[in-house]
Amino acid sequence: MRIGAVILTGTLALGAAAANAQTGATPQPAKQVQPAVAKTHLRVGDKAPEFTLRDHTRKTVTLADFRGKKNVVLAFYVLAFTGG
Amino acid sequence: MLGVSIDSWPANAKFAQEIGVTYPLLSDMTRKVSKEYGVLNEEMQFANRATFVIDKQGVIQHVEEGNSAIDPTGAVTVCSMLKKKEPAN
Repeated sequence: MRIGAVILTGTLALGAAAANAQTGATPQPAKQVQPAVAKTHLRVGDKAPEFTLRDHTRKTVTLADFRGKKNVVLAFYVLAFTGG
Repeated sequence: MLGVSIDSWPANAKFAQEIGVTYPLLSDMTRKVSKEYGVLNEEMQFANRATFVIDKQGVIQHVEEGNSAIDPTGAVTVCSMLKKKEPAN
């Protein structure tokens, strides 16, 4: 099975090379992959972008509601059930 | 404390029940907020792990991204400092 997969992959690569040779197209470089961690443009001292989102009880939460009342810790996590 | 992910609110409701969370888990299904905060992984279309501390004036006082953002020590320290700065009532 593993050997079959290797052979199949090799065959596809050869096929692609042959197709390029036939069309005269130069192989395109692999698409630039985004870094795993997107670096935010926001810095300390910046105004936090406003938002209004629904929470897990369907209640609407707006950042502006905390203005003058509470500091906010905003924690982005990857996906539910994934350990964050 | 507010948690944010691109999950639907029912998914977050189940997640909240499972982990016994005591703070709101916000649903950013349109990815708009994740994008505006610069944490959206464009390739995978989910928000990367990141923590922001925003003060009462709506100004960012702390930013932590990546694996270190799972450790709340930095955010807690900044919150304590902000509390100390507040005038006593």
